[in-house]
Amino acid sequence: MERVLSRALGAADYADAFYERRVVRSFRLQEGRVHEAGLSVVSGIGIRVISGDRAGYAHTGDLSERALLETASVAALIAKDGAARVASIRIPAHPEQAVSVYGTTHSSLAAESATYVDLLARADIAARAYDPRIRSVNASISDELQDVVIATSDGRYVTDRRPLVTLAVQCVAQGTERGTGFCGDGGRSGLDVLLERSPEKLAREAARIACVNCDARETPAGVCEVVVGAGSGGVLLHEAVGHGLEGDFNRQGTSLYSGRMGERVASELVTIYDDGDVPCERGSISIDDEGTPGQHKVLVENGILRGYMHDRLNARLMGGTSTGSGRRQSFRVMPQPRMCNTYMPAGTSTFEEIVGSVKRGIFAASFAGGQVEISKGDFVFMLAEGYLIEDGKLTAPIRGASLIGNGPDVMNRVVMVGNDARFATRHYTCGKGGQYVPVGVGMPTVKLSSVTVGGSSVGS
Amino acid sequence: MEAELDLARSAVDVAVRAGAHEAEATFSVARRFSTEARDKEITKLEQSVSRNLSLRVFVSGAKATLATSDFEADSLAAFVREAVDAARYVAGDEFGGLPDLALVAPSDAGLGMYSGDVTTRKAASKIGDALELESIARAADARIVNSGGSRVLDTDATIVLANSNGFAGAYRASSALFATSPIAQDGANKLVGSYGTASRSYGTLEAVGAVAAKAAHRALGMIGARKPPTMRCAVIFDRDVAASVLGDIFAAINAANVSLGNSFLIGKIGERVGSELATIVDDGRLPHALGTSPFDAEGVPTGRNVVFERGVLRTFLYDTYYGRKLGAASTANAAGGGIGPNNFYLEPGPGTPQELIASTRRGILVMDTIGFATESVTGTYSRGARGYYIEDGEITHPVDEFTIAGNLVEMLAAIDAVASDLVFDQPIVAPTFRVAEMTVSGGA
Repeated sequence: MERVLSRALGAADYADAFYERRVVRSFRLQEGRVHEAGLSVVSGIGIRVISGDRAGYAHTGDLSERALLETASVAALIAKDGAARVASIRIPAHPEQAVSVYGTTHSSLAAESATYVDLLARADIAARAYDPRIRSVNASISDELQDVVIATSDGRYVTDRRPLVTLAVQCVAQGTERGTGFCGDGGRSGLDVLLERSPEKLAREAARIACVNCDARETPAGVCEVVVGAGSGGVLLHEAVGHGLEGDFNRQGTSLYSGRMGERVASELVTIYDDGDVPCERGSISIDDEGTPGQHKVLVENGILRGYMHDRLNARLMGGTSTGSGRRQSFRVMPQPRMCNTYMPAGTSTFEEIVGSVKRGIFAASFAGGQVEISKGDFVFMLAEGYLIEDGKLTAPIRGASLIGNGPDVMNRVVMVGNDARFATRHYTCGKGGQYVPVGVGMPTVKLSSVTVGGSSVGS
Repeated sequence: MEAELDLARSAVDVAVRAGAHEAEATFSVARRFSTEARDKEITKLEQSVSRNLSLRVFVSGAKATLATSDFEADSLAAFVREAVDAARYVAGDEFGGLPDLALVAPSDAGLGMYSGDVTTRKAASKIGDALELESIARAADARIVNSGGSRVLDTDATIVLANSNGFAGAYRASSALFATSPIAQDGANKLVGSYGTASRSYGTLEAVGAVAAKAAHRALGMIGARKPPTMRCAVIFDRDVAASVLGDIFAAINAANVSLGNSFLIGKIGERVGSELATIVDDGRLPHALGTSPFDAEGVPTGRNVVFERGVLRTFLYDTYYGRKLGAASTANAAGGGIGPNNFYLEPGPGTPQELIASTRRGILVMDTIGFATESVTGTYSRGARGYYIEDGEITHPVDEFTIAGNLVEMLAAIDAVASDLVFDQPIVAPTFRVAEMTVSGGA
């Protein structure tokens, strides 16, 4: 490895190698029976060379020394016009094992196929039994174990073993129309976490949402007060603020938060953290994909911008240190600054106080996902479950609603924060630059004083 | 391609020896070059070859899949055996299994899928293209002050398919892409304009200057944007956004979704769903188009299928499994373990997008959307959007921070104008088209 990194480093500032072996087992159930089994194996090494703000990259699935040296040479092309200097790289004889923030990492490997199949069958039965309006149930389970080894030209040599389990249930119910409901659970642990939290509970929640949606009415379009539900409301933080605080966009000056450190960017009720070290949470990492430990980060504190999320490249160029945010989808791509588990801590209001304060508005109980354009900061969130609020009470369910706004503008409209902070029970995967990584989000119930609600019905 | 075919055949053999009744292996070798320029510098340079094997095995119609990048013989054999073993936990299925195929694979001759220039063009020239994209976009106007980068990317992929019935087929395909995202400063706001396009060859790719100019125009065009009022009005989808609407329609004609009750088009074959102008086709054999291939992921020869004929729904799109299940032949749409498009497109109309705008009394031209809220079950459609306000046939000002919403059934029925600007630069494409009325949610 020292020879490979020396070849890669050449005249550059920094080089690293990322080895990955990831095995994912999955089963999918539809129409009451197990429909498909899947097995996926990703194995290889990626070599990166950094020279100033330039990065060269190459990868190979062939782990022979010859192939690795060749891969290092290709990665090094980016820096070939740099000033040559003697590179002396020393790497410890054995990699250091990262301190784990995960649950069990070995039980899954020994699991029999029957264990997965049984979990799916239990979810299917529970969802169908929930309500006669349930017409179809689709359930899937995936169980992943990723081993990584990271070696860097500045002598870091670390290894990590990352488990990730996911159980997802989707139901379709027939009422006045068809409605869908989705629920997912899991985290960085073995299958035991799914058994503990009960597949039946998860399935009934998906069935409940489908039943709500099959009798939902069209969403009224326009501007109104919005109450965002605890848990998956954290998507709001992820999209409206989180992406804009990723180091690459801020170094390049392409984010609307660029150069605004220490300034007010949200209402003083808003505090946002991004933590890589929450035990067993979906977005947690003992170390990131550059070997930096996952950690607690304050992004916004009482409305003031406090920190960006950095990988090593952007930290070095901006004169800071990595926040353990360098993540990548696989050995075939370079790491980018990414979020882990983004959340807002609890405030003081109760759920009843918050809803009770709204004369006419929308309760966004949970989100299917969202998207942001980071330069101007405009975002959209799609509701998975929503209701009208009339005279301080939840009334009719609504379908097809979305919220649209601008990050800082909406975060300035946070006027109440609930005491019920929790992580989402849906599972989210974040996409950036074509790379997908698992993330967590969390939030207490929050009231926004006015937001544009995208719906299809117009009228008074 | 014999070495690649041998590897695919040997994986099939291992599966059959492990007890699979049928097996099919796809082996792909893809060389990829990618570079990014920002300002006057190259900031990223990536070159690699990816090798992937995907295997489908059937035991009494029960299916298991394996995708791997580890070809070390012992480890590959162990994973193949594990996949066959996992299939025993899957329910037996009378519709599962390989397609009935002729053993001679259809040829890729005449399909124009490969151009040698993605490999012969020197890296220095590709890097030069990226730098030029960046410099032209930045020089377009003093208000363009930054950029999200300019990219040049190409691929050269060989794909082979072998199955336990003796089928063996192979083809080679190339692609080249230019994309850039300049940023215009508008007071405190940063406005990105993105444009990118792809082709089978550098020789036929839209010129660097044109790509950069379009992107710059998109960024500058948004200066001074404001929220439109909440209203019902005509919505014109620019061709990139039009393609994404076609993507939502594809989900509803995907036979897997139809079979599982996840489509708003269930039971509507033979019915008039769209307007007279809605002719939507899936064609896997258009020369040089990016969705073209001689056969699909199961080896079924591609062809042309008219999905909507002047608004009338004629067929869903099937792979072998859902074809058997729903009583139809495969339309050669097997892709990546599911059902995917070949070249899925809306037939173009006679006029230019400018003429289409000129014929619009009041409406919004949508240039970008964000979000992905489409319920395939009901056809409910909602997106965040930005674009231009149109009054009396003229673009009056840019608009942003609003949503457009409707229902895909109603949108298909309300297509009242289709322009001529169809370009096959991705598998799902559409020309600019107009929907007579949708809901715009903006300000009061």
